[in-house]
Amino acid sequence: MSGDAPRAGFLATVKAVLWSFVGIRKRKDYHDDASSLDPKAVIVAGVLGGLIFVLTIVAVVNWVVS
Amino acid sequence: MTTLTHDPIGAHAPHGHGHGPTGLMRWVTTTNHKDIGTMYLIFSFIMFLSGGVMALTIRTELFQPGLQVVEPEFFNQLTTMHGLVMVFGAIMPAFVGFANWMIPLMIGASDMAFARMNNWSFWLLPPAAILLLGSFFVPGGATAAGWTLYAPLSVQMGMGMDLAIFAIHIMGISSIMGAINIVVTVLNMRAPGMTMMKMPLFCWTWLITAYLLIAVMPVLAGAVTMILTDRHFGTSFFNAAGGGDPVMFQHIFWFFGHPEVYIMILPAFGIVSQIIPTFSRKPLFGYASMVYATSSIAILSFTVWAHHMFTTGMPAVAQLFFMYATMLIAVPTGVKVFNWVATMWRGSLSFESPMLWATGFIFVFTMGGFTGLICAIAPIDIQLQDTYYVVAHFHYVLVAGSLFALFAGAYYWLPKWTGHMPSEFLGKLHFWCSMVFFNITFFPMHFLGLAGMPRRIPDYALQFADFNALATIGAFGFGLSQLIFLVVVVKCVRGGEKAAAQSWEGAEGLEWTVPSPAPHHTFEEAPVFKG
Repeated sequence: MSGDAPRAGFLATVKAVLWSFVGIRKRKDYHDDASSLDPKAVIVAGVLGGLIFVLTIVAVVNWVVS
Repeated sequence: MTTLTHDPIGAHAPHGHGHGPTGLMRWVTTTNHKDIGTMYLIFSFIMFLSGGVMALTIRTELFQPGLQVVEPEFFNQLTTMHGLVMVFGAIMPAFVGFANWMIPLMIGASDMAFARMNNWSFWLLPPAAILLLGSFFVPGGATAAGWTLYAPLSVQMGMGMDLAIFAIHIMGISSIMGAINIVVTVLNMRAPGMTMMKMPLFCWTWLITAYLLIAVMPVLAGAVTMILTDRHFGTSFFNAAGGGDPVMFQHIFWFFGHPEVYIMILPAFGIVSQIIPTFSRKPLFGYASMVYATSSIAILSFTVWAHHMFTTGMPAVAQLFFMYATMLIAVPTGVKVFNWVATMWRGSLSFESPMLWATGFIFVFTMGGFTGLICAIAPIDIQLQDTYYVVAHFHYVLVAGSLFALFAGAYYWLPKWTGHMPSEFLGKLHFWCSMVFFNITFFPMHFLGLAGMPRRIPDYALQFADFNALATIGAFGFGLSQLIFLVVVVKCVRGGEKAAAQSWEGAEGLEWTVPSPAPHHTFEEAPVFKG
């Protein structure tokens, strides 16, 4: 990662990770990500995103069977 | 697009290595990534042929209803060993062979990060293969518990099971070491200028696969170790009489088994993502989304394992959770298929052998993906569980997916490996024979499964006879077609049209900047990559 670019904020990191769950990213946003994302923050956001993904499905399933 | 400043060191001696032992000892002691890659590829092809002979014996027995050729006990050993040999002996080592050969060349590294460990990773495999194949000859024969090794069957088998357990341990250690090597090589040894997001997609898919391997191979090792202690040391992990639970084995096995499915397909995605842009003469559409999709497939692959177990009596909440999660994983996979098609859209296409295999892969793999979605729906899966529909589904994914991509990659990089272009005529013949016979073999299995024919049986009811006869004819056609590949490779090694450094017109990347065949030592001085 380039050291000169401003570091992405928490919300920007989460947004990039959530788009990655769908597997799609705009070219402009991708270029911004590539220069500003902190890999450690991405991993934390990824774990959180995985947790949210699982909890969301659990919530939907509970709603369906209730 | 790709340029570099690079003096191809070693170009003066394309075959020379100048130091070290010669003859057999060269191969035993080698630490060169190209030698080790070659050994992996030869090993996996031998195992592929061994597993293929088992498959043809299975199909011969199933040609007609009734028992004609083999005893039922031996039939069960064959189905089990066919699965184990193909998964752990053929497909996985073949991808590691590709990684060894191509990752250092693609990222401009002089070798793998841990060259001696690389040697050990490979040389663990032949003893494991001997244990596995040798188990046919021990009292009681090889394990017949199915490749999934479900308890209590696996707790009750003869000593062939112990040999299989040790073989799996050894192959697991080999895979973990190979994976560590790939992670460190990709992260630390890229040429100056090659940032992660400029890396060829094959390296990305292998990096993610390597993390999956490191995460789940110890789980498999734990599962088979628990079987071992249940068998010999008085534990009752999976024995209900001792307070254990056989269903727990299924959960542990599939927590390994589902990421394993992606371990066998993500590198295939990587190979296809190298080939399609070359023969479309366009950059890959949506490179970043391909990287993201691969990562999300890897993460989601840990949340879907129990879709293999819908009939074991889970609560409705759990069935729905695994059903929804499984269906969602189709989204990033679909993104990849759309990206490959978009790469070809309005491209300047040509269909040399590698591209034929790659487009064939997209067509047939997508069919396997869709039948996977059908199996993911719990109420449907309860009808389909353990039928030939499932056999058809995973062969569409593993043969038409992983194997076709391996052939695509082999035809694509054979010029770089041997210095000669593979025969286009034979390559096309191999493709069309494989494509036609593959579908003759496995498409009827969907109908057999929907009609209720169970898998892993040596005999069946009369109404299944016609489709089984057809599938057996197709299987022999498919098996014999693979010998064409052997001829192609032998011809290519011995001579033929000389390959240029950039062997294919549209090929881009560092591997095409070194001469063909790639000299024994490449990139001893790191190239500067300007992507």
